[in-house]
Amino acid sequence: MPAFEHILIIGGGVGGALAHDLALRGFKVTLVEKGELLSGTSGRHHGLLHSGARYVLHDPGAAVECWQENRVLQRIAAQAIEPNGGLFVALDERDLSFREAFLDRCRSAGIPARPIPTSQAIGMEPALSPALQAAVMVPDAVMDAWRLPMHFFATARANGAAIRNFTEVTALRMTGRAVAGVGVTDHRTEATGTISADLVVNAAGPWAGRIAAMAGIRIPLQPSPGVMVSVQGRLTQRVINRLQPAGEGDIIVPQRGLSILGTTAWLADDPDTVSVPPGHVPRLFDLCRALVPAIGGLQPHAVWSACRPLLQNGEAVDPYRVSRSFGCFDHGQRDGVEGLVTVIGGKATTMRAMAEKTADLICRKTGRQIPCRTRDTVLLPYRNFWRNT
Amino acid sequence: MTACTVELSIFRFKPGRIDPPRFESFRVEAEKGMTVLDALERIRLTQDGSLVYRRSCHHSSCGTCACRINGIERLTCRTRLLDLGTETVRLEPLRGFERIGDLAVRMEAFYRDIEPGWSYLTPSAPGEADPGAAPLRFEACIECGCCVSACPATRLRPDFMGPAALAAMHNEISKNPPAADGLLRTAGNERGERWCERALACSRVCPTGVHPARRIADLRRELKKRPA
Repeated sequence: MPAFEHILIIGGGVGGALAHDLALRGFKVTLVEKGELLSGTSGRHHGLLHSGARYVLHDPGAAVECWQENRVLQRIAAQAIEPNGGLFVALDERDLSFREAFLDRCRSAGIPARPIPTSQAIGMEPALSPALQAAVMVPDAVMDAWRLPMHFFATARANGAAIRNFTEVTALRMTGRAVAGVGVTDHRTEATGTISADLVVNAAGPWAGRIAAMAGIRIPLQPSPGVMVSVQGRLTQRVINRLQPAGEGDIIVPQRGLSILGTTAWLADDPDTVSVPPGHVPRLFDLCRALVPAIGGLQPHAVWSACRPLLQNGEAVDPYRVSRSFGCFDHGQRDGVEGLVTVIGGKATTMRAMAEKTADLICRKTGRQIPCRTRDTVLLPYRNFWRNT
Repeated sequence: MTACTVELSIFRFKPGRIDPPRFESFRVEAEKGMTVLDALERIRLTQDGSLVYRRSCHHSSCGTCACRINGIERLTCRTRLLDLGTETVRLEPLRGFERIGDLAVRMEAFYRDIEPGWSYLTPSAPGEADPGAAPLRFEACIECGCCVSACPATRLRPDFMGPAALAAMHNEISKNPPAADGLLRTAGNERGERWCERALACSRVCPTGVHPARRIADLRRELKKRPA
């Protein structure tokens, strides 16, 4: 089948899911990423495959989206998911005051949340704090933050997409007011060149503002870094969340033989965060120790930060209140610059949905009516990425 | 905060440009707790944007950031600069893999003898009455390539399957009994277990405790029980 328009994707994170979607729909696809794939935000999180329950209290749209995508990913990339569930736990009167609203909102969002007796919760997770006042089971799960998205890259490549890592976009190539391609530097050799495309998609996550600026466009992106800490030892079988509105140090994500404490958040202008601000690690230990006391006796196994690409679509300046929904922008319509689309916001859990919406927009722009097939297309194993290249 | 300057001597290679390879020195202010990966990030962002290295999760789950640090295979994300105790830290790419550039290597050879379809999940408590009820976990092997790079037999015989593939086969045999016969035959073939020299380098450098050497010894015992 001859390929349709050539779509160039900037960014090897969520862009992997988009490359897969577009390749399935018959487009010719090239993806460029300045470093290793998934080295920005999408491979660098704590690994929670959201049930959506974390968002029911303040971001119901994102909650519904997460629960839908949770089920899709369990179907299409089962090998990259530890399907062990999660608990929301109340430790004090304040936590308990959210319980009814939490259960109500989970019901409205269609998320199967089930209260269980505290004795049962302690039986299931003996490391939980004895201060436990209430527990609710939710269908959280844990993803391998590298291997799950690599399933998308493997399948996209098998379907003909060209995936070029270590290739950095240095300029947008303009024809008049339209984007017609990109200038790149291939860091493997430092060779420079250009890649022409019918349409360029800016999927650079927290770096998307820099790409848009190359076309003189401002986008509503707010980089928001956060710190995570892993400790040696799997202290719980399930994901443990504090039953509170989303905030600092409210989650412990077990994965293999590690437990990951998350997160902190602040607002930044520069997405290249290289240092961990003082005080963040002790704060995570303090907050997570309240959930699982044994954490207090452990040393950090790794400390790192990653930068969220928040979509700033309201007045909220508290990074925990900014919606985790995502947005696609057609810069032809929005800014009079044709040939460029930007996708920002979202989460690793919703990467497939972000890709679907963006590919739908690309179909509208190219006048093609091709339905999305990624919900039901089981992905190739991630290891296929390194086969037959 | 205690800080001191550490010199990183980094293997530089860019086909056709920095070719033959050479070492280049960079200096960073090493704070307490700073990892080799943190240092590489700082060098890339403030001194040389052309530096190529692999990384993703920053907490030893993805396996992308392995390289040779002062001659030993380790994950850069889990190696603290000041713990190394040397004024100069020497960084080189893994051995036994095609080089992409600088510290990055291609992983195609790593997966040559690991079937894409082998399961990456394992029951956390094997042997229970109802294995279907056992919680599932990811495999401990993060496929970083440290063991392959450290293996002396792989260096002598590049077509040897190597420790990672044999450990993966051993694992798959225990999870997928109907396939055990065929897998064991593969492990015993002319590129298989027979070339292992029991140097144990693989187990020594494994960052996640997979113990490939022990698994290869297991395969060898199983193969001995069978008629030739």
